[in-house]
Amino acid sequence: MKYAFFPGCTIADRLPFIEKSIRLVCPEYDIGLVGLPFTCCPEPNSVQSFSQYTWLTMAARNIAVAEEHDLDILTACAGCFESLAMAKHMLDTSADTRAHVNRALANIGREYTGQARVVHLLQVLHDDVGCKGIEERTLRQLRMRVVTHSGCHLLRPERVLQVDLAEAPAKLDALVRALGMESVDYMDKTMCCGAGIRGVNRDISFAVLREKFAGMSMVHPDAAVVFCPTCFISFEAGQRVVNRMFGTEYRLPVFYYTELLAVAMGLEGTESILSGHRVQGTEETVARAMGHGGTPAQAPMGTHGAREV
Amino acid sequence: MRPVIWDDDEERVSDVRQAAQPCFQCGVCAASCPVFRVAPEFNPRIAVDEIVQTGTVAVTGREWYCAYCLMCEQRCPMGVALCEILVAIKNLSARDGKVPPSIVEMMDVIRFTGKVSHPSKGTTRRRRELGLPELPEVDAAEVQKLLEVTGAIDRLTRYREAECEPQ
Repeated sequence: MKYAFFPGCTIADRLPFIEKSIRLVCPEYDIGLVGLPFTCCPEPNSVQSFSQYTWLTMAARNIAVAEEHDLDILTACAGCFESLAMAKHMLDTSADTRAHVNRALANIGREYTGQARVVHLLQVLHDDVGCKGIEERTLRQLRMRVVTHSGCHLLRPERVLQVDLAEAPAKLDALVRALGMESVDYMDKTMCCGAGIRGVNRDISFAVLREKFAGMSMVHPDAAVVFCPTCFISFEAGQRVVNRMFGTEYRLPVFYYTELLAVAMGLEGTESILSGHRVQGTEETVARAMGHGGTPAQAPMGTHGAREV
Repeated sequence: MRPVIWDDDEERVSDVRQAAQPCFQCGVCAASCPVFRVAPEFNPRIAVDEIVQTGTVAVTGREWYCAYCLMCEQRCPMGVALCEILVAIKNLSARDGKVPPSIVEMMDVIRFTGKVSHPSKGTTRRRRELGLPELPEVDAAEVQKLLEVTGAIDRLTRYREAECEPQ
């Protein structure tokens, strides 16, 4: 299956090692990635809040570009998925809205027709490839206890997106289990990472992240696994800010799912992916999970766990 | 709720009121809101109640604290689309030029580059080291045109005017 690949600004410009892991694993499952001149999706919270009309029209333009090439769009970011899927829903369920947006698009010689589907990589791996198909291609099991976080914009609004259960998501957990990992349930699993208002109010945003980390730390995981680059940055770089602001000592490795998939499949080049991580001990955590490095995986959060402020 | 794409304020306010009508103030939205949990000055229940009670959309500035996680909508027993209502309120306040500076900055970056982030020199080097393909060139002129015809440029101008002459 060939898709118009929509890496999104955050992966392409800030987390190229995540893009690398996607480009490593996709061909292994015959998922073809075609690059097209996409703009920002645009970002679902700020841009939509500024002007829903602008947001909808920019999203319609991106979908129209994929339609011109007869391709469906494969997103890798929950935010891009939300914007494109919600815009598609609005355009497909209201002829008035579509006509209005198409009048705007006519100014740049494009038209939204509604032919292209919008999917996220989680759906392709879980629903199309399937956990059995994933498991069969792994060379090694990763012995790790993890907490998963799918990302708000992959789950809600549930009735429109229909990706997974919004209150009890299970697909990312099934995917991590296919790699040999244990997925541990935790408090506030479907809670936001706080990234949506980082620019508007930094203090509130990191207080939300503090709450999220409090829930995850209770079950002493070895790592967190996400399927969204914004959640990835929020968790990985954000935990240092939380530590500074609230006197905690979190040191939790964070992975985007396909990074661990590439490791479990034994693909070439995973060292260069993991070296892009910022949390101390990330590479060691993977080495231990692979059975290298002697001692069994020790929960970093258990060792350096939260301290009361 | 219909997307906010028409330029008729009165119609939009009445849309918002109608969408808020089924709310009976049970408070599940506030209880599910990650922002309310750490910053009780932002309460999605009260944002909706104000509209139903007063018949007007109060622009307080706190509407921008919504992180758009959509948990309130998920749990609302009456199916009130609170995030959509908040988006509509924010659209109204953005029309008056009341926008957090970080969002104006983001809109400016999109306006001139078509994206929300530029690849830094380091990222460009990393992309090359990782053997990643060059990204297709984004046509920023196309984006500028869309921002212009959908009124975003006007809003940015109004923000700058509001910033220069505080009321």
